[in-house]
Amino acid sequence: MSAARARLNPIGEIVDHKEIVVCAGSGGVGKTTTAAAIALQAALDGKKVAVLTIDPAKRLASSLGLKELTNEPSKVSKRKFTSAGLEMKGELWALMLDTKTTFDEVVTRYAPSPEQAERILENRFYRNISSTLSGTQEYMAMEKLYELHADGAYDIIVIDTPPTRNALDFLDAPRRLTDFFESRVLRWFLMPYMKAGGGIFRVANVAATTFLRVVKRIIGGDVLQDTAEFFSNLEGMYDGFKERAREVSALLQSDATSFVIVTSPGEDSVMEATFFAARLNEAGLPFGALIVNRVHPKLGDGVDVKPRQLTKLEKQGDQGQLLAKLIDNEEAFMRVVRLEEKNLNALARKIPKHRWVRVPYLEQEAVDFAGLSLIADKLFEA
Amino acid sequence: MHVDEFLDPKILIVSGKGGVGKTTVAAALALVAARHGRKVCMAEIDRKGTLPKLFGGGEVTYEPRELSPGVWGLNIIPEDALAEYLRVQYHMSRISRVFRSTHFVDYITTAAPGLKDILVLGKIWYLEQDRDHGGGAHGFDTIIVDAPAAGHMATFLKAPQGLADAVRLGPVRRQSEWLNDMLTDPKRSRVHLVSLAEEIPASETLETSEALDKELGISQGAVFANAVYSRLLMDEEADEFERIAADGKIDELCDVAKASGINLDDDDLGALHGYARFLKARRNIQSQHLRKLSRGVTQPVMELPFLFSAGLALPDIETLADVIEEQMETL
Ligand SMILES: Nc1ncnc2c1ncn2[C@@H]1O[C@H](COP(=O)(O)OP(=O)(O)O)[C@@H](O)[C@H]1O
Ligand SMILES: [Mg+2]
Repeated sequence: MSAARARLNPIGEIVDHKEIVVCAGSGGVGKTTTAAAIALQAALDGKKVAVLTIDPAKRLASSLGLKELTNEPSKVSKRKFTSAGLEMKGELWALMLDTKTTFDEVVTRYAPSPEQAERILENRFYRNISSTLSGTQEYMAMEKLYELHADGAYDIIVIDTPPTRNALDFLDAPRRLTDFFESRVLRWFLMPYMKAGGGIFRVANVAATTFLRVVKRIIGGDVLQDTAEFFSNLEGMYDGFKERAREVSALLQSDATSFVIVTSPGEDSVMEATFFAARLNEAGLPFGALIVNRVHPKLGDGVDVKPRQLTKLEKQGDQGQLLAKLIDNEEAFMRVVRLEEKNLNALARKIPKHRWVRVPYLEQEAVDFAGLSLIADKLFEA
Repeated sequence: MHVDEFLDPKILIVSGKGGVGKTTVAAALALVAARHGRKVCMAEIDRKGTLPKLFGGGEVTYEPRELSPGVWGLNIIPEDALAEYLRVQYHMSRISRVFRSTHFVDYITTAAPGLKDILVLGKIWYLEQDRDHGGGAHGFDTIIVDAPAAGHMATFLKAPQGLADAVRLGPVRRQSEWLNDMLTDPKRSRVHLVSLAEEIPASETLETSEALDKELGISQGAVFANAVYSRLLMDEEADEFERIAADGKIDELCDVAKASGINLDDDDLGALHGYARFLKARRNIQSQHLRKLSRGVTQPVMELPFLFSAGLALPDIETLADVIEEQMETL
């Protein structure tokens, strides 16, 4: 599509000029679908695109004509487009974040020796991290994004973000994880388990020992041993981690990136989006557009009818009754429309309307390729 | 089915994909229980939830607070639950700051995955057993848990089994067995799933329901299909309108309207037509998924109406509670 579109539509402009699009928003608003639709349109436009999804619905892979999505990009067949009557000039690659595998790769990269990497990968505490420690998924999503970008194989990368209840969580995640690894608290109480210098256990103060006794009762002594080993093995890798985290945030702050906030017109998700816009600003991250997904369509300005008139209408035979029902129905939807507008008005004060794109609540579900491409149409409509 | 039977187990766990209306339905269930004379406690888990807003403001903390007559609320924060556990188990009355640090709680729950869930379930157990740990016993008849989103739900409910397998001996082992007993006893706990009549949430609901059944052996109450558009207008009526328009007889309708003092312009007619179509299309989609839900689960599927009101507040929750009560009678 043309330069004309790019000037008119914020999403079109982003796709034309940016290398990274981050779709963020609170859970359940349609981030994954939106990310896939943006990627699809970019590919139609002639770009080589990768879309990195996180916890996608099972149907997404099949609607792209893929058996499954993995941690490595799979190419969407051109046939998928042609059979939908679309001419695709670029390439569409899709992948799904695998937190554990990505973390393993990070460890292997930063460990001073292959033996040390091996020791970490086999450690039980480490193996629990990717499934349990909060922030890990977010951190690895950023890592994977960085990797794809550094690879240089794609014109544009569209990334979905983890379904946190709180849209802000993933901004803090890398920080949270590195802080955790360097935690003084943990060091303090794991001290007796850490081998100091010549391999002698150094017993810390009495408080730490009492504390340790309780922890040991709860999670068991061997678990403590495992974690102490994990933390010792991690020594010497922090600088690598931190350096990478810095590079990732520099990339996110750069001109190459654009954040797209996805929201529903519901009050909670609008509030979340408002906070999120403010946080992006504070963090110096480039905001690109707001997508309001699943907005009830606004048709007309509301029929002007008084309750008294409606009662009268109902008494006017079959046609009167039919009309009364039609009016009832219209009024009900208009109430929702007004409510959604009221919710959204709070956002208009934070994000200028020309950066907004509304995707209507469609009369069909966007669960197959046709549905995705319909969403794409709506997203890129001026 | 009698209401008492429906509300029977003391612990009602409400779960579903994020945004489908879990909290809303949990609140409606709480009202139903309160109407039947029960003292109800709604438990949110580790979040600043929407619960207080539904009941008109304030904050919900670890200490239960009465939100509306007969309905209490608390927020189970794992850090607080750990502190309570240590106090009760190890008589550590002055909880060290270290225990309350986020890093420590993160650490300990990573070292022993599922521990966070255990702590939360442990608090539910304390509430169920009505243990008085200083705050005074509350004597709740019903505990409604606004559980983690469906994706995390299986992990959440499986945690005691997992921990019992991992720890062979000692108090923790014994305690995880207690929790598992609590969850798998149909006289003590039951799960209600909330869904929308749409592709993604409905498929997920079917999966969750099956997992609860096969892997966890937890009793299930109802599937609530939330936000189903009402039949303000039947398909045939929408079709009838289309026919009148196609036959060029719209003017006749406008005349009928005029006789009641209503002036319909072209915009108005377009809106009447458009919303009639929209309702019909969305209802079609919903019916399809409602059928899929009914076929896919053995428990009853209850439809809850989409509420067209301006913002959901207590009166709306009352409406949903009415609908639930009505449908309970016919089960
Ligand atoms: N029956 C309903 N009709 C209309 N809106 C609803 C209904 N149930 C829930 N909602 C709205 O949907 C949104 C999500 O509801 P909530 O109960 O907070 O979901 P969850 O707890 O599953 O995240 C809220 O804005 C709520 O007002
Ligand atoms: Mg909720």
